[in-house]
Amino acid sequence: MLMQMSNNTSAKPAKGRSLWADGIRRLRKRRLAMLCFWVTMAYFALAAAVFISERTGWENVLTRWNEDIGPSYQAPLATYEWTPQDAEPMSGWSLFGTDFLGRSTLRKTLYGAKTSIAVALGASIISLLIGIPLGAAAGYFRGWFDDIVIWLLTTLNTIPYILLVMAFAVVLRDKSLLGIPLRGMTGVYLAMGLTSWVGIARLIRGEIMKRKESEYVLAARAMGCSSGRIIFFHLLPNVFHIIIINFSLRFVGFIHAEVILSFLGLGETDKPSWGAMIDAARAELARDVWWEMAAATLAIFVLSLALNLFGDALRDCLDPKLRTD
Amino acid sequence: MTNNNNYLVDVAELKTWFSIRAGVLRKTVGHVKAVDGVSFRIRPGRTLGLVGESGCGKTTVGRTLLRLISPTAGRFLFDGEDVFAASFKRLKALRRDIQMMFQDPYGSLNPRMNIEEIVSEPLLVHRLDGRAKRREKAAELLDKVGLSAEHLGRYPHEFSGGQRQRIGIARALALEPKLLICDEPVSALDVSIQSQIINLLQDLQKEMGLTYLFIAHDLAVVEHISEDVAVMYLGRIVEFASRDALYADPRHPYTQALLSAIPEPTPVKTKHRIVLGGEVPSPSNPPSGCPFHPRCPLAEQRCREEIQSLDPIDPSSRHLAACWKAKKG
Repeated sequence: MLMQMSNNTSAKPAKGRSLWADGIRRLRKRRLAMLCFWVTMAYFALAAAVFISERTGWENVLTRWNEDIGPSYQAPLATYEWTPQDAEPMSGWSLFGTDFLGRSTLRKTLYGAKTSIAVALGASIISLLIGIPLGAAAGYFRGWFDDIVIWLLTTLNTIPYILLVMAFAVVLRDKSLLGIPLRGMTGVYLAMGLTSWVGIARLIRGEIMKRKESEYVLAARAMGCSSGRIIFFHLLPNVFHIIIINFSLRFVGFIHAEVILSFLGLGETDKPSWGAMIDAARAELARDVWWEMAAATLAIFVLSLALNLFGDALRDCLDPKLRTD
Repeated sequence: MTNNNNYLVDVAELKTWFSIRAGVLRKTVGHVKAVDGVSFRIRPGRTLGLVGESGCGKTTVGRTLLRLISPTAGRFLFDGEDVFAASFKRLKALRRDIQMMFQDPYGSLNPRMNIEEIVSEPLLVHRLDGRAKRREKAAELLDKVGLSAEHLGRYPHEFSGGQRQRIGIARALALEPKLLICDEPVSALDVSIQSQIINLLQDLQKEMGLTYLFIAHDLAVVEHISEDVAVMYLGRIVEFASRDALYADPRHPYTQALLSAIPEPTPVKTKHRIVLGGEVPSPSNPPSGCPFHPRCPLAEQRCREEIQSLDPIDPSSRHLAACWKAKKG
């Protein structure tokens, strides 16, 4: 009790605490959310490590996923090889199993993190770049511009999502945009970004419409603020937490979409990805080769779970309406 | 019109209608006549109290004057200049002279901005001062409204309702306006805080020579601050008089009912309370004749058919009422 009281008095700084600082402080008190945050960060660090070592040509375990490190179809945790001629105990990278070419499942899974996260990031950035301005402008200005945006939203929404992404991916495959060839994952995240701005645009439009009539916006108009200033300094900062929360949950969707596309053979073909691993493992399951499927699934599962739990915690902490203390 | 120079605010026949649209093609099928022919004038340095039930259009009047809502018809001369005809650029300049404070202390401050940003934003938008100077001015303004410079870094959620209204006043005064439209500035506050805010507004009026259009739903609040009072009902002014005349001798039955509803602080004194039946009619479908007749205790056949304009109760008087029965003699 005494502790609490002294805490309360000392927690009154001369400088005010913004709603952001407040939300993050509350978030940091949640152990599970922070664990999920660090798990997600570990995935991102892994992806960044792969990305950087590839770009700089730095050879390391992560980039040498293609190496033949053992016999084909080495089961995980097997202590000896199948082939009777050299019965050596297994260790190192092949300990968690190998695929039909004798490549390490673990290395492929680790590399797959980069593929998935790069695609999800690319798609998120594209969909936010399209969705936020369109949604904000439609919600603020209404009128004919709103009609056009709504028409676009509705049209895109009537087409089943996977079908639409596939159509985009097929059309964009092996084309080039502004001189950049759309090879591998580029086409995939372009396809996902160009189709998934719909949700964020609709969300932003609704939030802007709701807040547009609030008195602080009227006050801003009364003092002579331009529309641009009202949108960027008054409205968007007040919906930004919604964007972040939505982004953290949407990210999972993009990872799943990448897996589905790769599984269908539309995604990355010459680099490991979780979707491609599941696709490859499909044929091998009948031969009791379960580990490649299990590794990719586990990787997806842990990342999805962490992101979802973290996203929920973010919503609880950042939404000023849910302030509890 | 006669000489307008004596008046800072001259509003004539102001109408604000909202169209009701329906169908695929969004054809206009009717209008909500939120404000339907309102005229009043305010002299510089004076206060006009605008009173009425919720939904009578008083807030719309305030917002229309600042062109936050576009007017349907009418004219608003501010210091001789037609505000409704002003160009976009001119309007921005005019908004330096006409400012507004709002009803909801929780909704009228941007929760993501700190107090310094909120109070100095008008100066930034009008490019009046540099950063250091703005900060200094913001501190001065806070001081003026009874807060202090140490609050500059705080955020709105760290303040009480009364404090937030003070911040709203500081923001409205940043541009040193001539006219301040107060849209129910105290109706969301506790009674004890209400009087503090009203006293502050009165002090500021003396100090800065402000003119107020004070909108409220409560005659008791308006009595304190206004020289003139206009009573609105369903988009129209039904009675206009100096404060003393209105409170001593209300002529319109609606004003009489409103006045009888003010609680008396002395328990011994009992007064006859006029309780109005029914509800405020819809402004999209107003009653025929006098809009007040369905609820008026004095209504007769003539009231259902014809509407009485806002006329002086006797030829020499400034006291206007829109009722047949209000006339003296």
